[in-house]
Amino acid sequence: MLILSLALASLAPASKPLAPVSEVFAIRAEQLHLADGTVLENGLVLVDGDTIAAVGSGVSVPAGAALVEHAGHLTTGLIALGEHAGGSGELRDSTRTVLAGGRLAHAFAPGHSQLEALLAEGITSLVLAPSAGSLSAGCTAVVKSAGDTVVSERAQLHIGLSSASLLSNRRPTSYSGALRDLEALLSSAHGDFGAAARGELPVLIEARSRHEVQRAVAFVAEHKLRGAISGAPLAGELAADIAAAGLSVISDPRSPGASQRSIDALLSLAEAGVPFGFKLASPARHANTLRMGVALCVRRGLSPATALRSLTVDAARIAGVDERIGALATGRDADLVLWSGHPTDLTSSVKAVLIDGQLVYGEL
Amino acid sequence: MIPTLLLTLATAANLAPVTGTQDDERTRWSIHAEKIYAAPGELIENGSVRVDAGKITRLGSGGGGDISVYAITAGLVDASVRIHEDRLSVEESSEIQPALRVADTLDPFSHLWQRQLRSGVTTVMVSPLDRNVVGGLSVVLKTGGPENIAARTVAVDAALCGAIGSSPSRGNHAVYGLPTDFFSRRPTTRMGVEWEWRRAFYDAALAQRHGAELDEDARGLLQVLAGVRPLFIQAWATQDIRTAAFFVEEMAREDFGQIRLIVDAAAEAWKEPAFLVRTGAGVVLPPFPHNGRSGPDRAFTAWSSAAQLHAAGIPLALSSHGAQSPADRLDRQAGYAMRGGLPFDAALAAVTLTPARMLGVDESVGSIAVGKDADLVLWNGEPFAATSRAVGVLLEGRLIVDPREEN
Repeated sequence: MLILSLALASLAPASKPLAPVSEVFAIRAEQLHLADGTVLENGLVLVDGDTIAAVGSGVSVPAGAALVEHAGHLTTGLIALGEHAGGSGELRDSTRTVLAGGRLAHAFAPGHSQLEALLAEGITSLVLAPSAGSLSAGCTAVVKSAGDTVVSERAQLHIGLSSASLLSNRRPTSYSGALRDLEALLSSAHGDFGAAARGELPVLIEARSRHEVQRAVAFVAEHKLRGAISGAPLAGELAADIAAAGLSVISDPRSPGASQRSIDALLSLAEAGVPFGFKLASPARHANTLRMGVALCVRRGLSPATALRSLTVDAARIAGVDERIGALATGRDADLVLWSGHPTDLTSSVKAVLIDGQLVYGEL
Repeated sequence: MIPTLLLTLATAANLAPVTGTQDDERTRWSIHAEKIYAAPGELIENGSVRVDAGKITRLGSGGGGDISVYAITAGLVDASVRIHEDRLSVEESSEIQPALRVADTLDPFSHLWQRQLRSGVTTVMVSPLDRNVVGGLSVVLKTGGPENIAARTVAVDAALCGAIGSSPSRGNHAVYGLPTDFFSRRPTTRMGVEWEWRRAFYDAALAQRHGAELDEDARGLLQVLAGVRPLFIQAWATQDIRTAAFFVEEMAREDFGQIRLIVDAAAEAWKEPAFLVRTGAGVVLPPFPHNGRSGPDRAFTAWSSAAQLHAAGIPLALSSHGAQSPADRLDRQAGYAMRGGLPFDAALAAVTLTPARMLGVDESVGSIAVGKDADLVLWNGEPFAATSRAVGVLLEGRLIVDPREEN
């Protein structure tokens, strides 16, 4: 009987609250991190339903609302930019180079077992981005790692300008051919490409080597696009050009084997004021590399505040969803992580995670 | 006495790195040489070259110098290097790509540029890989300077490049069952390659003649027929060089236009120079092979090939054609050509002024003259001699390789 009920529990739709808290409740933490980098001592977050109702030191808790005292740090949920959750084979249509109007949101599998690993690392939102091999695989989606919330089903227009985007037996086979085809799509002014050309939709441009970054930056400048360059380990060595083009950078995950040069390149981005965030390759295996990446940067001199921003507010801006997530602020989604210590310190652990006001991991 | 000498040496050694750093930024130099080979046939003995802000400002006999070497030539010009991203440099989805630029595909961070520069090659033309019939537009650029292709460019769209021979047809095949990619197409043979060349140009020329709407590909071909830029065709073997010459003659005969032809990798051009003389074509030779045979078709080149082409009055350039080994570098090619009977001045022209003229950049590079770019090669002996080498290189007035240092 017990076995049966466990099995039933795991089959329950993920959209159901996993552990309901009261409708209105508050959490007071010893250290509360705001988006601008300030830390409130004994700061308080008031949650009403799925939204943050108030944040501050002097927020009064309404009568009847539960108050949770947390002896540690409280942040908004972390954001992974680029993610293969739900099977990487689902994230690209290999029958065509350009999937105009494609939506990665349709590859989202709420409650997928791989998503659970993200919660243990405090990752509450992720960007579903296509795998390599396309000139454009459509638009990325921003989804929550528990529940079935789709924050944005048209976050960024994906553009592939790396060698991995070009296949030898399908148009385009070359960088020059890729640029020509992309220019034709942008000038057609239709659909997602039209929106990107008008600056309404940010782009996510895949590039790996430095010359690919240079090409992508020139392309963005020429066509007055906005967005981020994704997947170039040494993009930071071109930080001045990237900053001048107003672009951001999405970094691959950095594990302890990452070269010093690639870590220093990230620091160069911070120095040049280029916003950056991190993606994950495979959440089940590598969820912890999100924090590992910033910890390696902090060890080389990145300020913990900038590091935390790269996982929260800067990542939200890159994905174009900063009005919904990425900050502990009134009106934002109640995605909260209760940490034992500072989140960029690898010795800190996650005590509890709330998504849209629902406890989805740990205990309060 | 001895302690003083030691102290002097120590001081000089301490100062050296500081001076070196300053020299990297410095753009005013006066360089003295026993021999300045300013241009083919123009020798100044015991003279000096002065450069300032990237340009040559004075050239003449006498005069002192910050640096003194045995000989100076202009920076070498290679019309056929292959510092491109291989198959990512050519758009294979169609065999005819007259509007695509190889400049859009290059990697300024490649170590191969530095290798060219340090061997004295300061200006190069890069073409797309030879997988297409018409591969696209080449670019002429400096081998050093800012790590940015646009900033290094000397001439955009310098030539329209393509190939005749076995290379363009290599990947294609007939349709077996259902076609699954675009390689199920013409050409699969030399004859097919030749047919594609003619069809593309006929279509463009006739479209124009009949007032039809022209796409960017047709416009690209018509510019070549109008002589806006040369047609740079890779053709190793004599049968392919013939095809190139006959094609150019046919376009003139049909009154489509007079194409300026440059035959690249023309290993066997020496066999039938008359065709090239007749069409006014220039020739770029690939590196001399150690066993006489080179290229995909095992074309035969003799040591005397360059000398024979020169004797026939054909504009001649030597090239490394992307070869990596030090023995295949451009300055070595000039030496090999001289060993085969090419006079020194013709050898100098073949690695400087002639390729610069072919590519339309001789106003700024290719010889040492006041007002031209300060691209210089400093030699420790007679240029191209087996015992000499480039010990110093200036690129636009910057001392890239310092002959005063061990190098």
